[in-house]
Amino acid sequence: MADSRLHRLSLLLLGAIAVLAVASVALIIRSGDAWGGALFWAVVIAGMHYLSVPTPSGKRINLAIGPAVAAAILLPGTVVVLAAYSVGLVGGWGVLQWRATTDRDADSDYVAESISMLAFGVVTSVALAAISGSSLPLAWEQLLSVIAGGVVWFVLRALVSAWVGTEREDLASRYLWLLALEDWSVALAIFTGGALFGMTWPLMGIWAFPVAILPYAFSHLAFVRYNSTRITYGQMIRALAQIPEVADLAPRGHATRTADLAVSMAREIGLHPNEVVELEYAALMHDVGRITLTEPAILKAGYTDEDIARWGAQIIAEAPYLQEVSEYVRVQHSPFRRPGEAMDPDIPMISKIIKVASAYDQAVHEMHLSPLEGLERIHRGSAYDFDPEVSASLRRVLAQRGVIAA
Amino acid sequence: MSRAAVQRQHRTKIHLAVGFGALGAAILGVLVWMPWQTFPDLRLWIPFATAFVYFEWHTVEVNDRLFASPSVMVLLTAAVIFGPESAVIGAAAMAAVGLIAPADISERRWFQPIVNFGQQVASATAATAVLSLFMSVGGLTGWPIVDAELLMIAIGSVFASIVYGFVNYRMVLFIVGRVYGRLEVRPWSHIGAILLPMTGMGFLGGLLGATYLTIGTAALPLIAVVFFVGYMAFESYARLREAQESTIRGFIKALEAKDLYTRGHTERVARFTEMIGKQMGFDGTQLERLRWAALIHDVGKLAVPRELIRKRSRLTDEEYEAMQQHVHFVEDLLEDVDFLQPMIEIASNHHAHYDGNGYHGAGHEHGDAPSQEACILAVADTFDAITSTRSYRVALTQPYAYAELRRHAGTQFDPEVVEAFIEGMETSGHRYGSKIELTDDEARDIAEEGLEAIRNADQIHGRDFPLAPIAEDVDDG
Repeated sequence: MADSRLHRLSLLLLGAIAVLAVASVALIIRSGDAWGGALFWAVVIAGMHYLSVPTPSGKRINLAIGPAVAAAILLPGTVVVLAAYSVGLVGGWGVLQWRATTDRDADSDYVAESISMLAFGVVTSVALAAISGSSLPLAWEQLLSVIAGGVVWFVLRALVSAWVGTEREDLASRYLWLLALEDWSVALAIFTGGALFGMTWPLMGIWAFPVAILPYAFSHLAFVRYNSTRITYGQMIRALAQIPEVADLAPRGHATRTADLAVSMAREIGLHPNEVVELEYAALMHDVGRITLTEPAILKAGYTDEDIARWGAQIIAEAPYLQEVSEYVRVQHSPFRRPGEAMDPDIPMISKIIKVASAYDQAVHEMHLSPLEGLERIHRGSAYDFDPEVSASLRRVLAQRGVIAA
Repeated sequence: MSRAAVQRQHRTKIHLAVGFGALGAAILGVLVWMPWQTFPDLRLWIPFATAFVYFEWHTVEVNDRLFASPSVMVLLTAAVIFGPESAVIGAAAMAAVGLIAPADISERRWFQPIVNFGQQVASATAATAVLSLFMSVGGLTGWPIVDAELLMIAIGSVFASIVYGFVNYRMVLFIVGRVYGRLEVRPWSHIGAILLPMTGMGFLGGLLGATYLTIGTAALPLIAVVFFVGYMAFESYARLREAQESTIRGFIKALEAKDLYTRGHTERVARFTEMIGKQMGFDGTQLERLRWAALIHDVGKLAVPRELIRKRSRLTDEEYEAMQQHVHFVEDLLEDVDFLQPMIEIASNHHAHYDGNGYHGAGHEHGDAPSQEACILAVADTFDAITSTRSYRVALTQPYAYAELRRHAGTQFDPEVVEAFIEGMETSGHRYGSKIELTDDEARDIAEEGLEAIRNADQIHGRDFPLAPIAEDVDDG
């Protein structure tokens, strides 16, 4: 059922690697020469599986592709390259197990990255063989081949992750596809390091090491720092958003639950990953306007939901980087359609999602309705208040979480 | 600053500008007219000059110490590629082109660009001259190049970047010392920290240049990727850090706005702690920690029910408990933010007295001396409390605040911190608090009038929060 796509791909991969490894190793041993180089690169590829780098989207890319790029340039011919890769991938899987990542995501990443690596090896070495003997300098031949292989690698990796991921978490393939594309800068950094090494090693000897590794090391540092800052930024917003709750002016846990639900819905609908991040912030902070109240009951204090939304937006607007988020919060209570009109196009999808998520959470946790009753309330408002597209997504997310029957 | 001092400073600036402008022009002139150097191939020079200028205009500040400046890298890559006959003039020309940044035009600065021009041309010339020396020694004739030449390039790049950093640093010291007097020079004492990454970048730059000489033009797109992806990565990081800090600043500012008496308090306290930290010679990381601690020190109060904060008479034990509990809740919230851990320590402990009495935060024992950072926060917080308007009285004068701080130095406050604060304050020349001597009663009466004015200002700015009730109104509830 779940993960059947992953299973199928893994079996395919396993089979391919086994066949490749055995066949190509046999061929090399028979022809005698290049096996030393192949073995060396197989070991390096396997070892590099230990390291990975975080990408701006929050996923990780395994660094094994770096030496794989160098190997594709330096090893003579497709057979030798595939031999090195297949042995290296087997060893890499061992390294990953040794690191004891029980994360299921790590499995699907390994499958996606291995398939892509093999494809890269084939395309690059074939291209290199085809293009050699042209009037271009050797370095250009190598560079163009790597670029061709790299494009294939990048696209294939995104496709496989999307294909496996949609089944597992019911995420929109568009979301996963865009998420993988976000990683281009990190991928480019790794590829450049590998290419520099492969292209300079024969001519610069030991200097190839600093040339290839230093630039990548600088970028790696920046990526790691960016990732940890991104995480703490999210934590900070989460903390600030809960201040009204701690002041007893908002129901406890409402902000985080709403955000959680809203994010699932957004991914399911297929919003762009950057939009999902903004939505998370907006959903967390959607009730922050309550901090201005003197008591938790809005109506009793003489105000309306719109007032809370407006004050929240004013507070958020003071932060220079959260202007969009402020807008999303400001219109969160607007109906998505006015009587007699078609849909109001000015209400952003993000605000509509937050409205539904917040209303559902209110129904279930404050009014203590059952999930189905909560859904029913949402459906009853689908003429003007709650966009039916959004409530359909809510239903799917709840079903996927097992809260209601599918 | 006095009128005479301003005029003197202006004159100094003119002298410096003329001097540095002449220096830059002279160097360029010599390089152009003398037959020592030939200008490099424009097809190579233009892309590198563009990259250099771009990075010069967009330096990325990663933290108070670490500037990511890929311009050194670009300079040395270009120098190696141009070769010893063209490196110096090519580099000097690149440095000259970067002189007028768009920011300078929009802000109508004249001093900065002219001085930069002289400074950059001089540093670039010195650095590439050193590099050329090494390259000539290595017998660089063209490509492909062999190991001995590579070694010379590598060593030469290291020396060249040290020279670049050092010449730049000396010139900045000289200029700043002349224009501002000794005191502002202190932040530049961390030359070692700046020099190390600069040398790394320069070394890499030289090697990348050698790559071009080895494998040919195919190296250029790779070099471009190294420059720009690396820069982008650091720039995203720096921008995110800035976003993080400005978010919490903005948030706190907005939340403070609902409570008239604390409006602007956090910003001022943050400024004061930074001033004290600089006065006491703290480095970039410590200053940042102080700044964050100041930003979050009053966040806890946001969760305390208004009636408690606003109460004029003493709080009962129960009410005091309730207040502390709310403050603790918020601290618990912030503890989920990894990097704020050390700052929460400082913030929660800033009411502790220097001699060990006073209220200690969670996890501290009565009798423990608070950390120096907590003491700094205490002084800054108290000073602002005295010199700003509160619900019960209007601001008092600055000399009065100084006297209060000194009166309790040794018991409530760290005497070293108090003196550092007063010294820093006097040097900066800023004035806070009331300008007129007031008695306590007068201060209280004026407070009531002030609130009306602030309420009107809120309407002008479009903020329509339900305003905090004035003290008397609360008793109706």
